Amino acid sequence: MDAPDKNPNLLAGQTAHPTTESAVASAAAPELIGLVTHEDVDRARDRWEVARARWTGRSKKFGGIRLLWLLVGPGVLVFLGENDAPSMLSYSADGSRYGVGFFIPFVVLTFIMGFIVQEMTVRLGTVTHRGHAELIFDRFGKFWGFFAMGDLIFGNFLTLVTEFIGVRAGLGFFGVRPSIAVGGALVIVVAAITTGRYWTWERITLSLAIFNGLFIPAAILARPDWHAVGHAMVTWMPLPSGSRYEILLLILATIGATVTPWMLFFQQSAVVDKGMQPRDINAGRFDTLLGALLASVFAIAAILATVPLFHHGINAADFQAAQFAEALEPLIGHTGAALFALGIFEAGIVAAIAISTSSAYAFGEVMQTGHSLNRPLREAWPFYLTLFGSACAAAALVLIPRFPLEFVVLTVNVIAVLAMPPALAFLLLLVNDPEVMGEHVNGFWANVAGVTVTVLLIIAGLGFGLATVFPRLLGG
Amino acid sequence: MKLNSHYADVPENQSALAPVDVKSEQLSLQDPRAVLSLLEADQVVAAKRRTHFGRKNLSIATKALLWGLRVYVVAMLVIVLISVYQAIHAAH
Repeated sequence: MDAPDKNPNLLAGQTAHPTTESAVASAAAPELIGLVTHEDVDRARDRWEVARARWTGRSKKFGGIRLLWLLVGPGVLVFLGENDAPSMLSYSADGSRYGVGFFIPFVVLTFIMGFIVQEMTVRLGTVTHRGHAELIFDRFGKFWGFFAMGDLIFGNFLTLVTEFIGVRAGLGFFGVRPSIAVGGALVIVVAAITTGRYWTWERITLSLAIFNGLFIPAAILARPDWHAVGHAMVTWMPLPSGSRYEILLLILATIGATVTPWMLFFQQSAVVDKGMQPRDINAGRFDTLLGALLASVFAIAAILATVPLFHHGINAADFQAAQFAEALEPLIGHTGAALFALGIFEAGIVAAIAISTSSAYAFGEVMQTGHSLNRPLREAWPFYLTLFGSACAAAALVLIPRFPLEFVVLTVNVIAVLAMPPALAFLLLLVNDPEVMGEHVNGFWANVAGVTVTVLLIIAGLGFGLATVFPRLLGG
Repeated sequence: MKLNSHYADVPENQSALAPVDVKSEQLSLQDPRAVLSLLEADQVVAAKRRTHFGRKNLSIATKALLWGLRVYVVAMLVIVLISVYQAIHAAH
């Protein structure tokens, strides 16, 4: 065996290949042994817990559950993070303007589309151990890489602004001043990210994300007609009526509430930071499915919570978050309205944490600086600076007096849908690349599903474009 | 499961260190061998930093697709601005 100092640069310039070989069994092990970092140790600690759960799980009654508990995280976070303030407001608009009907099964369909897309990021992350931005730069070069990054950074910043709008509006229902609400949210973001451990950050954020379920009691207090809900789930009826342009806009916003570019970057990077390996792919799929399921239930709850506005003929066309809660109060009671407002606040906080983290991951991957929540602040300060800086900039914008925040809220989900096709094109190219994916390359049906989702998004976008440029086309 | 791996091509007498028994409850993560035993070869930060997936040769069709989608996004952003302008105009 060559001594390490005779091969000082054994790894440099080598092409990466998908491998499941243990690092200690690799030829580079003698060199790597002196290069183990704090991040490696933390990740190994998480892997050790998973390994122990696997070995002991076979003999213990709830061993399999412990293993799932350890591996669940990125999928649940990405979907509950995507149930952010503008998304919950889109769902609320669905319920308040069209009642129980088409949009309930349509929301379920969008989450199926989301699962199809996000499952691919699980495979990409576990097989390549690289984030989405890093892979795009590696395989497609800087030109296309910067295009993808541009879409992400632009979309993420707009979305972050709307999260702090949600935080401000949600707590505004309780009389909390905007500066206090936004400042408090920033404190929570900082507290979540400065743990120096991915595992701890993940568990804190999951604990916050589960409060997305506040929309369920709010929906129950709205006393929905469950027979009508069941009927709508099966028949998709009644179809929405009224201005076709507004219906199309809401369809687009509802899709954008479920499939957005930041989700691709976030989940893949989180899977990598969590240290997941190809043997964890099934657990990652379960995690993603669980996230989609929970988020779709909470989304439907948000629709049902605002149906009373529809029944009372209250025009919610221009409602912002606080106005929904205020309008609901006489209809579903103060408790129901308060739960709704708290839900919007939670949606904003969790999404602010997840989205600013996705920006920081992408920035770190591209700039080849430390980009892990397992790194302490002093070792990865550019990563944390990007994370916190983007959150601060968005929060500051929300506090500027008379800033036209409504325009941002109006457009952010629509922009997310429109920016999705190029992101999906890169994803499909990567996940079909045998040099990257090895034996985990996409199968035929996965490609059919992925291409179908992409085509549907393009058609939806083109429909919106035609309706905007030629409004008379839809009779509007 | 053995995927296409550069490391797999290295003869046995040049490999690595003795692996640590990761099933042991007494495993110490202060031992870098234990860390390397728990991680895959390209999960180690130093390994990832020094290796990259090579540039993919894009076909003309793929480039046309990527450019087409780029034009689509730019056109749609313009339409979004038109939509926002129309919304402001209608409101006033």
